[in-house]
Amino acid sequence: MAVSSGTRTIISPARLGRKRGKRIYWGLLILVILAFSVAFLGPLYWMVTGGLKTGREIAQVPPTLFPQDPNLTAYKDAWTDLNLGQLLLNTVIYAFGALAFQLVFDVAAAYALSKLRPVLGNAILGLILATLMVPATTLVIPQYVTVIDLPIVHWHMLDSPWAIWLPAVANAFNIFLLKRFFDSIPQELLSAAAVDGAGPLRTLLWIILPISRPILGVMSILSLTAVWKDFLWPLLVEPGENTKTLNVGIYAFSKGLTQNTIIAAAVIAAVPTIVFFLFLQRNIMAGLTAGGLKG
Amino acid sequence: MSTRLHRRIAVVAALSSVCLGLAACGSGSGTKGGSADGKVTITVDCPPLKTDNGGKSLANWNSDVKAFEAANPNITIKTVSVGAQCDNPPDFTARLQGGTQTDVFYGYMTDLNQVLDADGAEDITQYITKDTVPGWDSISDNIKNPFIENGHVYGIGYAGYTMGLVYNKTLFAQAGLDPTKPPTTWQDVATAAQKIAALGNGVVGYEDYSAGNTGGWHFTAELYSRGGADVSTDGKSATVNSPEAQAVLGNLHDMRFNGNSMGVKQLLGWPDLLTNAGAGKVGMFIGAPDTITAIVTQFKGQYSDWMMGPMPGDGGPAKGTLGGGSGYFFKKGASADQIKAGLKWITFEDLTPGQGQFNYALQKASGLPVGLPEPEIWKPGTAEAQKDNDLKKANTNLDLDAFANYVANPVPVVTEPANAQAIYAILDGVMSATLTDPNANITKLLNDANNKIQNTVINAGS
Amino acid sequence: MTDLAVLPPVADVAPRAARSRHGAMRRKLFDNLTGHAFLIGAVVCFGFFSWYPMVREFIMSFQQTHRGVTTWVGWKNYENVWHDAAFVQAWKNTLYFTVLALVVGYALPFFIAVLLNEFRHARGYLRFLVYLPVMLPPASGLFLFKYAYDPSDAGIFNYILKTLHLPTSEWVQSQAMTMPSLVIASTWLNMGGTILIYLASLQNIPGELYEAGELDGAGIWRQIWHVTIPQTRLILSLMFLLQVVATMQLFVEPLILANGDGNQGSATSVVYLMYQRAFYEHDLNGAAALGGMLLIVLLVFSAVYTRLAPKQETD
Repeated sequence: MAVSSGTRTIISPARLGRKRGKRIYWGLLILVILAFSVAFLGPLYWMVTGGLKTGREIAQVPPTLFPQDPNLTAYKDAWTDLNLGQLLLNTVIYAFGALAFQLVFDVAAAYALSKLRPVLGNAILGLILATLMVPATTLVIPQYVTVIDLPIVHWHMLDSPWAIWLPAVANAFNIFLLKRFFDSIPQELLSAAAVDGAGPLRTLLWIILPISRPILGVMSILSLTAVWKDFLWPLLVEPGENTKTLNVGIYAFSKGLTQNTIIAAAVIAAVPTIVFFLFLQRNIMAGLTAGGLKG
Repeated sequence: MSTRLHRRIAVVAALSSVCLGLAACGSGSGTKGGSADGKVTITVDCPPLKTDNGGKSLANWNSDVKAFEAANPNITIKTVSVGAQCDNPPDFTARLQGGTQTDVFYGYMTDLNQVLDADGAEDITQYITKDTVPGWDSISDNIKNPFIENGHVYGIGYAGYTMGLVYNKTLFAQAGLDPTKPPTTWQDVATAAQKIAALGNGVVGYEDYSAGNTGGWHFTAELYSRGGADVSTDGKSATVNSPEAQAVLGNLHDMRFNGNSMGVKQLLGWPDLLTNAGAGKVGMFIGAPDTITAIVTQFKGQYSDWMMGPMPGDGGPAKGTLGGGSGYFFKKGASADQIKAGLKWITFEDLTPGQGQFNYALQKASGLPVGLPEPEIWKPGTAEAQKDNDLKKANTNLDLDAFANYVANPVPVVTEPANAQAIYAILDGVMSATLTDPNANITKLLNDANNKIQNTVINAGS
Repeated sequence: MTDLAVLPPVADVAPRAARSRHGAMRRKLFDNLTGHAFLIGAVVCFGFFSWYPMVREFIMSFQQTHRGVTTWVGWKNYENVWHDAAFVQAWKNTLYFTVLALVVGYALPFFIAVLLNEFRHARGYLRFLVYLPVMLPPASGLFLFKYAYDPSDAGIFNYILKTLHLPTSEWVQSQAMTMPSLVIASTWLNMGGTILIYLASLQNIPGELYEAGELDGAGIWRQIWHVTIPQTRLILSLMFLLQVVATMQLFVEPLILANGDGNQGSATSVVYLMYQRAFYEHDLNGAAALGGMLLIVLLVFSAVYTRLAPKQETD
């Protein structure tokens, strides 16, 4: 069986074609597949079955591989006691809203810094990139105080989605990624568009964005994941019972629950992102592997 | 080209105006002013959780609100549930800092400093009259004073707790111990713990906290029981390296490593111990009666399993026990009408025998437990105290004998030290060391902790 | 290449202005305004939520607010924080975590990526596997580990170790194993992202380099050392910086796995100390001082690192 050709990697296809190479290859591959499956799927299996066990069974020694009497009570309790529906909805709104704002403002900004290059652009870029080195967590205290009372407009943003959406735009990594990608778009494309009379907005929407789908895909995944997984910031700015995010809610409300219920909640919380990942897996791969306009 | 630019600016402007327009939406949970043509609205937080007692406690609260509003047609009560925030200090601090506390907001006795520091509460001294709070003079000082500073009243206390020994009747019986005669000294606790732990199957004889500041909290309680204290009475020196403190840790260390009666799993915080208790795995622990309520309502335990005895002492009765409690503050900026309305509500719900939290008949009819020895807010001998006790006796559905020992042997109440949380954080370390390190050097641990408390809490004035 | 013919008709284009100096200046003004219009959204957000808080943090760290009155207190907050009982330990713990995480969470994923890149089959499946934990919300993943790390026999890790006749551990409960336990949990949860990023980078390595290497007689390790690593040095360099900065901000893992401070403070991280200071001890200004310290430390590190690290290729 010939190994498919692609860009060759460390081991040459020839070596793999040979009998010994084939044996090692397949042996190693199967070993890795098994090991990784156990390492990465095992805990998930344990979680899902844990939620199906009773409170007593999950705490017993030795742990059982398969629940003795699988039932959905823990899952039901988790859903109602933790108000998971609300938490899920909140997190979805925060995540997609933040993404929307980023797609509008960060893409526009990266485009301006890369192609339009207005005066002071470099200074602004410098200031933005400087924040790349500033870890977000070190700023939570002043950000928190700012969100309580936004200067000038005196906007109290606690317990509102804006406290998550707007700070999400201030993402230097996005700008960095996008600008880098836009920089690599050859000037000829843009000049051609300019000759045809397209203005900057049109160029952005009709020329740049369609080519940028891979990087936008990557950025979207990163952005959604970042909001979904954020903990400290939502802990501080979404303290209300009905505005909490999934992570914070599970942590905060779990204080009174038994182990199987918490595990069930953890499973339910994981389902959306995993489903999301299953659907977008191809896009992620495409985004990461697409050479795009680079060689 | 300018058209496009204009379009672009328009989009940005539209988005910004949407932002600003929605600014009105985020304005915290206090109602501003709240009165229009004689009608007053107040927001009140920390009702019972909707998971407490299958929702019955909350249902009773809601019917109380309706009854109050019917009797006071000018007042509207908006209940704001803040979930588990009522029991979570960081959330309380966050709400205070964020200015999102309700008009009438719940807080611990130890929160007064913090509330005043954040300028979060109104001075309500002038509003407390025979009309608004008729039972004021009958409320015990232990409950009132933590909310008063320099003669100014900032909050109304309505619940107090003191710690005792909580123990599992069923496990006692299984271990061959007499549940009606709980251990009253720490020495006896150690002996009983060993017998209970011998039952095996993951059962712990005596369990204690050692993380999340709760370790330091319990250390303090146990220190009080032996007559010691975290800091001197004038608050100027740390006193955790005393012989009493050594005895506390020595006893725990002994139980853990010689008696093997405290279980392998340590670094427990508040919910962890109660989870274990609810699962029937804990023989004894120190706590207030509300822990039993929590075990039953939140952690799936049963009232019939639990009894309480007085706080154990060193070779005799305890010399003191840690007390605390809670009350309601009034948000800074609340109007006079709102404050009066709030006081009326608190009186209705929390300070009138036979009503609200003391409505034993209703609680019994709802299948809620009646007869727990708390909160004891009335001065002994007052008419309110008498009425409350009578009603309780008439409606109790618990076995009052379960608490007979605890009630019959009151222990002097000592309140938490100033800067309690900072001190507890430091003392967490000595607890976790004692309970996890077989070779713990208790003298050194306590000397280090003493220095830390002295230098970083007392001297720094932080 | 996008076919410009499929663009919607551009009907309202103004004809190019005459090349007068005035027209050119006017155009330049327009261009600048346009550029800034595109920038304004992001700049406003950066202003409010990034730059302003940076300034405010330092201002707060020199002030204290009591009963509504704010005063300047000089270095007092920094002194208080410096003398905090857990200050030194928090830094030690955090650095320890960072170093451990570099070994387990930086080097290891790279080699896994190299390995995975060699496989021609099951690529999608393997990538899916490693990225799966990244998709878990931290609360889910960390509670999973919290129970798995149970030091008694009920914990699944100890149970597995026992079955394999290996010594069990007290995991988070033991002082020595606290940070390693946190690192293991954190790595399992996060390495998928790193692996995928490395994979993408590895795929851009021209195959000819490997061929050349092979012709020179290089074995696997030499290939990696002389081709793979240099070719990916930019991404490796960047990931190093990002990883250090990220791990120094440790917070969630100690909070959920060890109730914050752990055994005698062995899990306390700098950020946890900051959180504790702000919300348990009600000292926002002290917390700001601590945050400021961490910020300076990481900034200096980033600045020094960027100086010394491989530069970005010029486009």
